[in-house]
Amino acid sequence: MNRASGLVIKDLNKSFGDVHVVKDLNLTVEPGEFLVLLGPSGCGKTTALRMIAGLEEIDSGSISLGEKDVTNMLPKYRDVAMVFQSYALYPHKNVAENIGFPLKVRGVEPEARDAAVRDAAQQVQMEDLLHRYPRQLSGGQRQRVALARAIVRSPSVFLMDEPLSNLDAQLRGYMRAELKHMQQEMGVTTIYVTHDQIEAMTLAHRVAIMNDGRLQQVGTPNQVYSDPINLFVAGFMGAPPMNFIEGGLNSGKFISGDIELSLVGDQEPGPVVLGFRPEDTALVAAGTGLFDATIYTVEHTGEQTLVTIQVARKQLAVKMPKDFEASTNSTVGVQFDPSAGYFFDQSDGARIRTCRLQAGT
Amino acid sequence: MKNERSLMTQLFEPPAIGKMAPATKIVVYTVLLSWTAFVLFPIYWIIITSFKSAVDVNRGPFFVPWVDFTPSLHAWKELFVFDWKDTLQAYFNSIIIALSATLLCVGIGSMAAYALARVEYKPKFGSIVIFVLSMVGAFLGVGYLGMDWRLSLAVALAVFFFLVKALSKHFKASVGNGDILFWMISQRILPPIVVVVPIYMMFQSVHLLDTHIAIILTYTVINLPIAVWLMYDFFVSIPKDLEESAQLDGATRLMTFWEIVLPLSRPGLAATTLLVMILSWNEYLFALFLSTSRAQTMPILVAAMNAGERGILWWSMSVVIVVMIIPVILMALLLQSFISKGVLLGAVKG
Repeated sequence: MNRASGLVIKDLNKSFGDVHVVKDLNLTVEPGEFLVLLGPSGCGKTTALRMIAGLEEIDSGSISLGEKDVTNMLPKYRDVAMVFQSYALYPHKNVAENIGFPLKVRGVEPEARDAAVRDAAQQVQMEDLLHRYPRQLSGGQRQRVALARAIVRSPSVFLMDEPLSNLDAQLRGYMRAELKHMQQEMGVTTIYVTHDQIEAMTLAHRVAIMNDGRLQQVGTPNQVYSDPINLFVAGFMGAPPMNFIEGGLNSGKFISGDIELSLVGDQEPGPVVLGFRPEDTALVAAGTGLFDATIYTVEHTGEQTLVTIQVARKQLAVKMPKDFEASTNSTVGVQFDPSAGYFFDQSDGARIRTCRLQAGT
Repeated sequence: MKNERSLMTQLFEPPAIGKMAPATKIVVYTVLLSWTAFVLFPIYWIIITSFKSAVDVNRGPFFVPWVDFTPSLHAWKELFVFDWKDTLQAYFNSIIIALSATLLCVGIGSMAAYALARVEYKPKFGSIVIFVLSMVGAFLGVGYLGMDWRLSLAVALAVFFFLVKALSKHFKASVGNGDILFWMISQRILPPIVVVVPIYMMFQSVHLLDTHIAIILTYTVINLPIAVWLMYDFFVSIPKDLEESAQLDGATRLMTFWEIVLPLSRPGLAATTLLVMILSWNEYLFALFLSTSRAQTMPILVAAMNAGERGILWWSMSVVIVVMIIPVILMALLLQSFISKGVLLGAVKG
């Protein structure tokens, strides 16, 4: 039985005092979808999630879950389960009691409750630790208990507030895979808040990127990565982030200091930003690339080489194969495919799609 | 020498007692044992004095029973055989009053503290002024105009609600939870002697002098600030996530309080209960004013032992003190198992 339901958010607004933390949020989540709300800290993503949960009052707008309008409904009637960043396990209850608490307060019979608890614990591989207390568990185990407590009553929506951020790097990678697998198995609509774009890219069916209370772009991980709508999205996705060079458009050329690149297409002259990703860029012999730069540092990470180059005192990142070698301060050429260059308006950060770099410059 | 610890660090950050050198161990144990003896000696002295005869007390000081003096039960007999009615009445008075006052005080205090810790209050300063003024009006109505107090109170409340409804939009300054807390604790800063006469007159006018109710109410009120203050600190330390999680799990506010908040605040409740109880148990000044015979408590009985025409009755006083200490010790033993650390361990973070 699949009881996943979709979620529709309309014109949601929230202020704390004078701070407008969520501005006109419109978002539709399909049934069974894994949607990641991504953004820097303080962008309003956690507040948005808490409003969906019913923990935060709504200034204006509406939230519908499946068929029903839940805008002014108490959390317990919303049929949503939430995993908190802090896990929020009840320290005086053991694992079984923690997982069973949502059923207990709903008046489920002890026998049925036990079976459900065992089932949920099995799904997160905690069935051997049912009698432990939270203080006797490791971070990863606590995380699993929190998950089990969320799945035990099969809610129609899962809400997760940075659930992996308290785990160490190795465990985080492992739990990420577990989460993804579990969500696909159960097919429950999931809204997941994070500031970690790797988590967003790996987990999400779709990513919704927020900044400063405003939704910037919604799309598949691939869409937001390869077709960013504005400067913020372009700079937020990818590690290391996209390189940006400020410059101007003038008579069919992008000009920034000594760099001059020819363009195709029409665009009014004005200040723009040229962006290109480290992984789309290659270093070639001086004079043969789009422009020349000097080597600042070369870092070998094992699987690849991260090269920082300098152009007119501005540092740019380039990802090169693992056997790349270059001496500091030597001059190299910078090359990337014209289609990998993005232009943004300097004033409002909007993507400029009417012109692009000319091939073969 | 980097590993050499300075004398100061050796003194103030000593190693665990099991890891000390034998000589240090002896010194440490000697110091600790003599301090224990020093602290416990007054209790020992009271206990042996309760078994001394008048002669032994006056010829004293005698320290060891059966060696220095022959213990006798005369003081115990006097209090529990001849005067048993007075003694036991005072004893039961003390128990009833201390228990009821503690129960009321911790009950009301912890609810108030929970509200202050979890709900944000923003009463307008102007509304508070209006409330005080209407209450003053109600008193004047009863005192000078001879109105029935129910009518007077109803009129005052009606005036208050009307004025607040009409004017509160125009008030700017408001007070917050911190101000409310401080106002409460400020009530305790006042020396009790200042209010003892008004409180006496108040209970006199409602004919409750020398009753349990008067003393219970007084103790509840004077200890409320302490209970609120202690429990507030405790509730604030309970992560809000736990309660929000319980709400999402489907619990009502009351269930959340019973299932999550109360079990977690057991140590705080135990400590607060113990403190409020000891304060009520030992209170003297208000008991002295508010009770004359029927509602007398143990501290009054103790004090009475040095006011008689026979001089100070050290032996009888010691008996009363011994029986007074016993319930407090029992209560402390009972509650100390709750006052354990680390209840919140494992609630949040890894």
